[in-house]
Amino acid sequence: MLGEVADLLFGALSPMIPLVLAGVGEIITEQSGVVNIGIEGVMLLSALTSGVVAYFTGSVFLGLLIGTATGLALGLLHGVLGVYLKGDQIVVGVGVNLFAYGIAVVTLVTLWGTYGSSPQLPTVPKVEIAGYPVSPLLPVSIVISIAAWYFLFYTNYGLKLRACGEDPRSAEAMGVNVNRTRLIATLIGASLAGLAGGHLSLDWVGQFTKEITAGRGFIALANVVFSKWNPLYALVGGFIFGFFDSLAIYLSITSMNPSMAYLFKTVPYVATLLVVAAFMRKARMPPSLGKPYIKE
Amino acid sequence: MNLEDYAQVSLEITGSILAGLLVAAIILIATGYNPWKGLYIMLTGGLGDLDYLLSRASFVLLTGLAFALPMLASAFNIGGEGQMYVGGIVALIASLITKNPWIAITAGAIAGAALGFITGALRAYREVNEVITAIMLNWIFYYISIFFITSYLYNPQAPYRSVSVPKGAQLGFIEIAGIKMHLIFPLALLTSFITYFLIFHTRIGYRIRVAGLSPDSARYSGINAKMTFTNSMTLGGLFGGLSGALNVIAFTYYMDQLLTSMVGMGFDGIGVALMGRDHPIGIIFSAIFFSMLLLGGQKMQIAMNVPKELTDALSGVIIISLAMPYAYKMLMSYLKIRRMMKVAGRSS
Repeated sequence: MLGEVADLLFGALSPMIPLVLAGVGEIITEQSGVVNIGIEGVMLLSALTSGVVAYFTGSVFLGLLIGTATGLALGLLHGVLGVYLKGDQIVVGVGVNLFAYGIAVVTLVTLWGTYGSSPQLPTVPKVEIAGYPVSPLLPVSIVISIAAWYFLFYTNYGLKLRACGEDPRSAEAMGVNVNRTRLIATLIGASLAGLAGGHLSLDWVGQFTKEITAGRGFIALANVVFSKWNPLYALVGGFIFGFFDSLAIYLSITSMNPSMAYLFKTVPYVATLLVVAAFMRKARMPPSLGKPYIKE
Repeated sequence: MNLEDYAQVSLEITGSILAGLLVAAIILIATGYNPWKGLYIMLTGGLGDLDYLLSRASFVLLTGLAFALPMLASAFNIGGEGQMYVGGIVALIASLITKNPWIAITAGAIAGAALGFITGALRAYREVNEVITAIMLNWIFYYISIFFITSYLYNPQAPYRSVSVPKGAQLGFIEIAGIKMHLIFPLALLTSFITYFLIFHTRIGYRIRVAGLSPDSARYSGINAKMTFTNSMTLGGLFGGLSGALNVIAFTYYMDQLLTSMVGMGFDGIGVALMGRDHPIGIIFSAIFFSMLLLGGQKMQIAMNVPKELTDALSGVIIISLAMPYAYKMLMSYLKIRRMMKVAGRSS
């Protein structure tokens, strides 16, 4: 019994990483007033590109780097369209998700000739803690969220960034270039989602499948809400949501009945919905979130 | 709408289609296929069988309405997927119990409406973002549907799919001018016309439009914003559920284990709605166009071995390009200013 609890708790550490990385990234983006629901697609496409690079070069580090760069590129697309061209950010995000999905599957099929999943990929070497393998990306994501927290709430740049999400007109009056700040915040957010995608294929799963993200980008969005736009709480949220992911995997594996396993797979989504519904009323989102800033 | 608005709309729509085709061509070239052949099959491959084209168009027409109607109230219903699944599974179960197609379809539509209601009410009364709720519900009902198909509705004769809709509960064909066709498209058309009437000639439609166009005016005139928001999502869910129910009761007559006959259609509906400018009549045409692309994509997969998911990338680009009316407005006014400067230059 105690061993199973420890299994579950340590099992939550892998699913936690992408939720923290993408969640912290999205917090930075949303604090500047931009909402990017395309991070699901960013994670998927980055999972693929980092997998491809690691497969052909054998370098996991290079793979993660390219995954992050893929995120940056998609973030540039979202930022230019959503910030400078004043596109509807939700609709652009939906489009990016579909676009990324299409490209990922087409590439998967042309490169490896399979519709389901890639061959085995090289993975990040694990560190052993109390007999459980732990990914070095866990401390990395903890450091990133602490740094993001310090940056957002204790530096001048962070204040300016949050001002763009609070009241862009006043930010402009303070001498902040609102559009540029929002673009940079979107780039940072999407890059972290890209790293999260790289973790999925090169660290956690060890191969790329077209359903590798399975809504995790949106669970990361739920984590943003849960953590009240504070990167430190995103660590807690990431662990909670990651725990339900680990619980679902545990239940599906131990279930004797294959069709019950499908039912257990709903656990993370049901839990996410319930947790967000319970916490949302107390959250206060950036007032200008999702509203394009148009100068008079 | 005046002439200039029409010009802008046509510019947006043709621009988005061209952008989509261009990106598709680039992907084809990058992955080593012949782009001309690919695009040709994609655009024409779906035109062979009119009944099949229109029937398939009906599903995205309905998921298009499912996105468009809430959009009029500024609500994002990206839960068309889950609403379709639940509509299909509930309709299938209802058909097994009642053996009546109409009761089954109604039950499926109501189930979809229930999902829409949950999504809308959580946003209106608990401020949970409808986008997050919708995606969570999509996944929850994806797995719940598969659970039912592999357990209670398991078909021992064909393990990859559910039991069939009973013969008496299958919605069949009609003959129009000697052409035998599924009843689906006429039903979808009828739904479009009813939605048109609902939006422009009823109180609830009026409230939805006011709440979307100007939340402040809505508040001052005593419109209950929360209830209007929830109503629009519930109606959207109804269309999503109807789409799934028709898919099972009037087209496939069973559900397969991976829901392949439905997956993706909820998201395609978003492109359909945007291209149809959230107008129930415009959506009829954009649904036929999208269905043409989707079927062409399948033909392309058979003929050239290009994954049909290429059409997902294409419709993603179309959706992205349609998200920017502001950019087109800027382009239009830039062109106008340039023309005026030219005219001014000539007269001096």
